[in-house]
This record gives sequence, C-alpha cells and structure tokens, in this order.
Amino acid sequence: MALLELDAITKRFGGLVANHEVTFQVDRGEIVGLIGPNGAGKTTLFNCISGFFPPTSGTVRFDGTDVTGWPAERLVHQGMVRTFQVVRTFPDLTVRENVMIGAFARTNSASTARKIADEMLEFTGLAPRADVLGANLPIAQKKRVELARALATGPQLLMLDEVMAGLTPAERVQAVELIRAIRARGITVLLVEHVMEVVMPISDRVIVLDSGRKIAEGPPQAIVENPEVIAAYLGEKYRPRREETGEG
Amino acid sequence: MDTTLLLQALTNGLLIGMVYALISVGLTLIFGLMEIVNFAHGEFLMLAMYAAFWASVLLNLDPMVSLPLTVGGLALLGLVTYRGIIAQILNAPMLAQIFATFGLGLFLRGLAQYLWSPNFRTIERPWLGQISGGTVNLGGVFLGVPQIAAAILAGVAFAALYLFISRTRIGLALQAVAEDKSTAELMGIDSHRMFALGWVLGGACVGVAGAVLASFYPITPTVGILFALIAYIVVALGGFGSVPGALVAGLLVGLVQEASPILFGVPTTYKYAVVFALYLVVVLIRPQGLFGRF
Amino acid sequence: MTTATARPIRAIPRSWIALGVLALALLALPLVLRSDSRLNIAILVLVYAALAQAWNILGGFAGQISLGNAAFFGIGAYTSTVLLSRWEVTPWLGMLAGALVAAIFAVIIGYPVFRLGGHYFAIATIALAEIVYTIFNDWEWVGGATGMLIPFARDIETGRPTNSLYYLQFNLGKAPYFYIALALVVLVTVVTVIVDRSKLGYYLRAIKNDQDAARALGVHVLRYKLIAIAISAAFSAVIGTFYAQYLLYIDPETTMRLELSVLIALVAILGGVGTVAGPLVGAAVLIPAAELTRQQLGGSGNAIDLILYGALIVLISIFQPNGLMGLVQRLRHRGGPRPTATPTEQQATAREEAPMLGGYEEERG
Repeated sequence: MALLELDAITKRFGGLVANHEVTFQVDRGEIVGLIGPNGAGKTTLFNCISGFFPPTSGTVRFDGTDVTGWPAERLVHQGMVRTFQVVRTFPDLTVRENVMIGAFARTNSASTARKIADEMLEFTGLAPRADVLGANLPIAQKKRVELARALATGPQLLMLDEVMAGLTPAERVQAVELIRAIRARGITVLLVEHVMEVVMPISDRVIVLDSGRKIAEGPPQAIVENPEVIAAYLGEKYRPRREETGEG
Repeated sequence: MDTTLLLQALTNGLLIGMVYALISVGLTLIFGLMEIVNFAHGEFLMLAMYAAFWASVLLNLDPMVSLPLTVGGLALLGLVTYRGIIAQILNAPMLAQIFATFGLGLFLRGLAQYLWSPNFRTIERPWLGQISGGTVNLGGVFLGVPQIAAAILAGVAFAALYLFISRTRIGLALQAVAEDKSTAELMGIDSHRMFALGWVLGGACVGVAGAVLASFYPITPTVGILFALIAYIVVALGGFGSVPGALVAGLLVGLVQEASPILFGVPTTYKYAVVFALYLVVVLIRPQGLFGRF
Repeated sequence: MTTATARPIRAIPRSWIALGVLALALLALPLVLRSDSRLNIAILVLVYAALAQAWNILGGFAGQISLGNAAFFGIGAYTSTVLLSRWEVTPWLGMLAGALVAAIFAVIIGYPVFRLGGHYFAIATIALAEIVYTIFNDWEWVGGATGMLIPFARDIETGRPTNSLYYLQFNLGKAPYFYIALALVVLVTVVTVIVDRSKLGYYLRAIKNDQDAARALGVHVLRYKLIAIAISAAFSAVIGTFYAQYLLYIDPETTMRLELSVLIALVAILGGVGTVAGPLVGAAVLIPAAELTRQQLGGSGNAIDLILYGALIVLISIFQPNGLMGLVQRLRHRGGPRPTATPTEQQATAREEAPMLGGYEEERG
C-alpha cells in the first residue's frame, strides 16, 4: 500500500524548471533510493515533498491525505520527517537536547521527551555522547544526531538527504546497517543520494532523476543496466574533463 | 486641496529625501558587504555636523569650504571604527555585533555632550543661506537655497559613489565581496580591505551629508538619532545592501514625510510615525524591501 | 549559551541552602540599607532585573533581539495609570489589564515582524517602539508629552499622603516597594525557570539555533515566537505598572524611550543571555554602578556616565559577548572544553565540513 504518492510534481523558479511532472510512489515498509547526477533536482523535489516550499503544480499524498503545500512542521505531526544534506545540529544544545526537540513532536512533557531521546540515543549508538554539545561533534556523529532526532518525532516516513556524504567507507557501512535497523522498526525510508553505489545495496527500489525529470524506476539491478541512467551519469563524468580542455 | 501647498511639500520631500538617501547609502553599503548594521551611523552624522560647525567657528571656514576636511575626517572615523571594533566582531554572535556599534554610538554622543554641551548650535551666516536671500521662488513654491544645494550635492555624491562602485576595478571588487565573499577571496580579493573600504566610503557619504546639513539644521549631540532611525527605515525599505534601493527609498520617505500632513491630514507631529508605519506595511508585504535580494 | 548554569536550582541541596541564604539577605536588605536613596538603587536593581528577565525570554531564549521592549513597559504603565486616574480602578487590576493589552499588542505586531530575521528584527522593534512613543507623546488624552501625575493616596482624617495597598502606593517609606519589586523578580524568575525546563524553553532554544532545522522537527516557529513575545510583553507591562506607582508620575520620555529598551537588553547581555541567573547578575552589577557613577560625576548633563556606559558596551561586545555568566562558566571549566558554542564555532565547524565534502566529490569524479 502506498504511503507516499507524488503525482506530476512540477517546481519552477522563475523560468527555471527544477522538477518536471515527477510521479512515483513509496510503499509502506520500503527503502526507496532517489538518485541522480548533480543538478538533477533531487533536493528541490525533497523540499517540495517535505514542505519547505510548495510545488508549482502537482499533488503530494501522504498516508491517504492530500498534503500538497503543507508546511514542514505540520507534516512532521502527520508522520513525515526529513534530515538535511548539510547537517543542522543545534550547536548550543547537547546531543540529548537535540534529540529531545524531535521527541517533543509527540509529547508535551520534558521527562517523556527525555525518555524517548535516551531510547533513540541508545538505538543510534550515541548514548555515550549524550551530554556533548552539538557544536563539538565530528561530522559522522552529527549525522547520527540528525537521524536520532528525526526518529524521535515518531515518523512513518523518514526522508534522508545525502546521509552518506562526507562519511568514510567504514562509517558508511555503519550508516547502512543503521538504515536497515530503522526499516526493521517498521519505518519507511526515502533516501536521496548522489552516488549510486551507496544506494544500490540497501534500496528495494531506485528512482532516477535527471534534469528535473524521472528517467527510470525499478529494482537496483535493472537501474544499473539501464542505458539512459548510464548516459546521464557518464555525461556528468565526462563534463568536467570537457570543460578543462575547453579552457586549455 | 491647495496645489501650491502640495507642490511645496513634494519639493521639500524630494530635497530632504536626497539627503536621506545619501545618509542611508553608507549604511546599506556596509550591510551589503558584511551583514552588519552600523548603529552608530547617526553619531557619525552628528560628528560631521559638529566638524563643519567648529571649522566655521575656529577656522572661519564655511561648511562648503571645509567639506573636504569633514569628508576626510569621517572617512578616517569609518576606518578606525572598522579596524578597532568591527574587525574584532566579524564572527561574533549577532547580539555582540548589534551592541558593539550601539555602544560606540552612545560613547560618541556622550563625548559630544561632554565636550560641547547639549545646547543647540547653528552656523552663523552660512554662504548658502545668503545666496538670493536664502530662498528662491519657483512659481509660488519657495525653496531654501541651502536645501537645494544639499540635495544637489547629495545627488553628486551619490552619483560619484555609484560610478565608483560600478565602473572602477576596486568598486567591482567591492561588489564581488558583497555578492560572494569566499569566491571573491578565491579570486584574490582581500575581503578585509574591501570591508575597510566600505566603512571609509560609508563615513565619507555621511561626511558630505553632515556638511550640507550643518548649513541649515541645528546641531546637538542627539541630532543623529532621528536621522539614523530614518536611515534604518530607508535601508530596510530599499532592501538591505541595495544602493539604488537607498536612493528610491530615501526619496520615497522624504515625500511621504512631507506630503502626508497635506494629503491625509496627518498632524505634522506624526509625520515620522507615518514613515515608520509605511515601513511596517512594506515589510509585511515584502520583507526583503523594494530592491532586496533575499 | 544555555548550559548547566541555566538551571542552577536543579543541581543539589547545597544550592537550595545558598538560595535560602540569599533570600534571607534580600528580605533583610531594607533594614540594612536604611537610607531612602540606597533603597532606591536597590529597587531600581530589582526593576531592571525583572525587565531584563522578561526580555531574556524573547531575546535570550528565542534569540529575537528586541530593542523596543520599553513600549511594553510603557503600555503597562499607561494602562494602569489611565484606569486609575479615570475610573479609580486599583493598580493591581490595572497591572493585569496592562499585561493583557501589552501581550495582545505584542502578538499583533509580532505577526508581521517575526518574518524578519536578525538585524532586521532589531530595527523593526526600534521603529515600532518609536511609533508608540510618538503616539503617546502627542496624545492629549493621556497627557501628551507632559505625562500623567498619579494623585497621592491620602489619609482621610489628616489629609496627609499615606500608605495604601489598594492604591499600590506607599508614601511613608520605600520598604514596601522593595518587597513588591522583589516579589515581581521572583515571579518572573520562577516563570523563566519553568519556561527553561519545559517544551517551550527547548523549542525557543532550537529556534534560536536554527529555525529551519526546528521546523523540520515539527516546531511551529511563529507560534512559539509569539508565545515568547507575549510572555515578555506581559511581564514588562506588569513592571511598568509597578514603576508608575513607584514614581507616581509617568511620561513617554521616561517610560518609552529607546534608551530604556537598550538598557534592558544591556542588563541581560552583561549578565549573560539565555541563562536564568544572567539578567539578575547583570542588574545587580550594572544598575548600582550606573547610579553611583551618575552621583559621583555630578548628575546628568556632563554625560560622563553616557561615555562610560558606551565604552562598557563596546568592550563587553568585543571581549565577553557571553556576559558575566559566560565568564563564570569559563573559569569553572578552565582547561576543559568550552561550555558554550558561539556562532563563530558553528561557522568554524561548517568550514571544517566543507573540505571533507570536497574530498568526497573528488573521490567520486
């Protein structure tokens, strides 16, 4: 059953079309990867879904409700939560307090929020860092804090914007394990990633964007062999070199 | 409604609006460069007016003659402020940034009051006040010569600044830093020097404004407060960091301030309140101001 | 700026003992000070402590720097005074009415103004406070620029000025004013402690840190900012009523000027914004210092106090932006990691992140 349904989402900034009639759905319990080369419109689409700006046209349905244009804070209470590509840990709050902010979406009591937060810290392996200020964490742990506090809101759908970026290979392996554990808790995951290799092993299904349009959708294996996808990624790979020779 | 009266008000509004624009452009330039509001801007203006006053009393120089001195002095004040205070707080919390210049303003105001007393001062027989008896009559509309000269000089200074920013290498470097500091640095532009230049230019603009105002406006240690408030409004209205915005908004504020008593019967004592209210309305509709970018 | 010291009361029984000693010392203060001029300074300390604490909820916790809080203070002073002088309403009720009017006003203006961030917000609050000032300065019904006198409560038999709890007026010595001001400080501080530990406090700190990140976690940013400004305005107004009853005279110049707004914020900043103790410490240090300087250097007019005051603000901003509480924390944690993160550090870590991401991009290409 579909948890998230996008129908012909288009987003324009002035004359620039960032997303053009993107349609797809995410079923309950799935891990779906959303990939595409730089400038494919992944982050824009993400912002349209998660309520950071409204789409120009098209509809977003979540859990059977039309949530098109709902602001982010309202979507959280509906069960949809996101993280940011560039981590936005609250620097003056401790790790525990960071996660409590998420937990307050479910409760008005500080002690309940603290309990939820501690549970999430345990789950994400951050418990030993609970009293460290957000500003003083290394990047990999900041990403974990982002995850933990998003989970603390009690979501049905977790949307992750490039969680793997900036992580070492060892840290990525841990992150993949964590995402699998999150799915095991019954939470649906939508992953935006730039790099195919990261998304393929964990995704049940992969959606590919290029120049704002959906160009492919299917199981990872099929996507890897899809000529259009290969072209989109290869094009990007050779682009810098062309520019270099152009200058030289 | 009396058309002559309205024409008179509109002309007065345009004349004072030019001066507002000139006072505000320094503020907007600095904000565009480093996202810092100079809350001591009004005190800079006050010092410029006192500089013109003391040059006339002690050196017997008319404000128009001492203008280069005033401008130079204020440019220097801008530089010292940047080096001594602003450079220290560029990365400080916003609270510290706001209060550092606020404190400087209080300090300068206190200093002026301590040194020169809180009394009103006016310059005796300024040249501009004597040309054609101090006023000209344009079809029933009376204009003060000092006010006309102030508007013209403000216009010239504004044009010079605009040409400097848009036509010279240094000016373009200044714009590049305002646009994107890190990219500009990659291109080899020293952003700290551009910041300092911004403060020098801001000081110089306020120096011109102070010198022209001194010919017809009474001078006190607190004279800068109202002008600074209006300048904040102008900058916010025109769009923080926008030089053309400062010109348009300066004129707009001048017009609204002078015309609202006649057009809408607002008591003249409320004319500044009307300006502030205009600002709030604009902010409600367009938070980034008329020419703002964000 | 909000760490351990933000909640000193939570810690251990020893702090309760310290608090008890402090309470006794404060209660005994009028007996010790004896002279009215010294008691006057003590009352001013309490007034500014309460005002700065009220400012702190908006400026310290939520990070919305208001330079117009004097407008709320003035609205409180005027509401109760008008009710008293026109309709004989007791200032105690007037106090509540003033708080309500100020809170409603705050929410109405907060709605548009909170769309502005940072410096823009500060400027908008200045403009608003100036509008309020201009209106009151010209509004003859409330006395215009000359202001309003509150008539003495007189003894029915002798006709001399006397004490009256109903009229919130104590003409036989300042001690009762001191205790009422103390009660107000305790009230605002208790509310601040409650806010600090509740969902509201957590949300306000999140908003101060990063509004978009807060939104992404379900925080209705505007709603919580409006709650903060309403609380801040209501308490500022309550103190305004008290102040009117203390001076028995109000005018726009003393109750609504920009200088007052700045002083309120400064007290909080000197002490340390976003902490419960900061505004209290700031008032206890700054107000006596300012008053004594003024007395020593021969009253207003020569403006030496203004010069020192300005220089002090510049120095704090450059060298100690976290205020005295920040200094205390730094001394306590000497050698360890710094307890608070300034935006500088935040930017520094952002800069650290950039090369890592850059390296990652290279790896991919």
